[in-house]
Amino acid sequence: MNVAAFADKSVAIVRRDLLTALRYRSAFVLTAAGTLTELAAFYYLSRAIGPGFRPAGLDYFSFLLVGTGFYTFLIMGIHSFLQSVQEAQQTGTFEVLMTTSTPPPILLLLSAMSAFSRNVAQLLFYLAVGLVIFDGTLPRPGIAACVLVFFLSVLIAIAIGLMAAALQVAIQKGSVVLWALGSGAWLLTGTLFPVASLPQPLRFAAGLIPITHALDAMRTALLQGRGFSALSHEIGILALFALTLLPLGLAVFSFSLYRARREGTLSAY
Amino acid sequence: MDAVIFDSVSKVFRHRPALFNWIGKERVEPTVALRDISFRVQTGSVLALLGPNGSGKTTLLKLISTMLLPDAGRVIINRAETHRDPQQVRRCVGFAVAGERSFFPRLTARENLDFFAALDDVPARERKARIQFMLARTGLLDAADTLMMKFSAGMYQRLAMARALMKQPAVLLLDEPTRSLDPAVTADIWELVRELSADDTTVLIATHNFQEAATVADFVAVLRQGALVAHEDVKGLNAQEVRSLYFQTRWDGVTNNFELVAESCR
Repeated sequence: MNVAAFADKSVAIVRRDLLTALRYRSAFVLTAAGTLTELAAFYYLSRAIGPGFRPAGLDYFSFLLVGTGFYTFLIMGIHSFLQSVQEAQQTGTFEVLMTTSTPPPILLLLSAMSAFSRNVAQLLFYLAVGLVIFDGTLPRPGIAACVLVFFLSVLIAIAIGLMAAALQVAIQKGSVVLWALGSGAWLLTGTLFPVASLPQPLRFAAGLIPITHALDAMRTALLQGRGFSALSHEIGILALFALTLLPLGLAVFSFSLYRARREGTLSAY
Repeated sequence: MDAVIFDSVSKVFRHRPALFNWIGKERVEPTVALRDISFRVQTGSVLALLGPNGSGKTTLLKLISTMLLPDAGRVIINRAETHRDPQQVRRCVGFAVAGERSFFPRLTARENLDFFAALDDVPARERKARIQFMLARTGLLDAADTLMMKFSAGMYQRLAMARALMKQPAVLLLDEPTRSLDPAVTADIWELVRELSADDTTVLIATHNFQEAATVADFVAVLRQGALVAHEDVKGLNAQEVRSLYFQTRWDGVTNNFELVAESCR
């Protein structure tokens, strides 16, 4: 597939998603209201705990702002793969989409990238509200390291997202599994409190989850302004996860489609 | 040249019952959807697939479209095998599915066609004109900017046909294309199928309508419990003659239910 065809398909998918989102008028307003409420809760939680609690030497509200914002971004990104399949199954478009001239993994990737771009807008809105309305601070953001961590984290989210989509194709209730895994990740990844607070076995388990490293690296880059050399360990781990999980995700998704075609469950939901 | 080749194709659907199957008993025996089917369809001809509900007509179309893969045998479309080269097959096959739920409900008819055309590699510079032409050809120009969620069953069917034709497929699959259409639109669709056939498009139609088979088809294939029990040239036959052919079909040399039904109809 050449670049022009790829761009053409990307535009078509973004346009479809944008038009669909705009026609669910109330969703935009409710998302914004939800963001404000969530941040207000974190703001008052950090005030209740008091200024004495400084995880990794950071202001707690800023710790929460970056942690929850980036965690939500990654989880929503992963979920968007599953959601793309789920919505297509429910609207009955999945079979038709899987028989267009566009290879299914590319189609899924483009659908998820469209969702990712929407999530980026939400993440920026989340951070902006936290900084402007709730007095959060990003004292010395290291933009270059932050961009690299972001890029690697997105690659990992794509890989896990492909596996989540495969799960949805295979069992049609992938969201239940993702919810269970998400709950575990919420506890273990250091979103709300430092991983160091966990007992040793859980700390070990946390180290096996790529999101833990993504959050840690993003906080270090954004809130402490550390450069590549200070982040080399975390960046190396994230790169290793990305290199391992991406081909695995593609293989698992392709196999789940093959299996569904053999079993006749492509349109099941 | 043969545009479609089925070579000893079989398809079985296996059922995996839910947990605690004794609470709500669910079928566990496999369903044999197609058994050892072999036939060929010449380029530019129209084949009508006839058979009772559950006889395997839609399964056969889905195997051509690559929605399904065969358990045994080969399906070859324009020299490409569905199992080995599915993308090549998808480029030349258009499928107007029977179900109404195959469009994005919050997009208009025009937006849906534009979206699927982009995925099917219809060149951007031709897309607008092709969409306009197909909407006009299927009688949907007035509804072009209406959201799909407000479409009737017949409108869905016509748009499914427009979508299948957008990429100018070499092989067109129509699953009960006139099921919800009024007689005037039905006649228009039949005329369109004949035009496509004259332009060397190969068409396979799954239908229960003998009039449709007699009007548009060059050949008729009769399916019964997944087996191909007849494959006949019907050029020049009228609806009554196609109906007789259908009911006189024998299966495994044994008089089948068709004849019993035919007897009761006489």
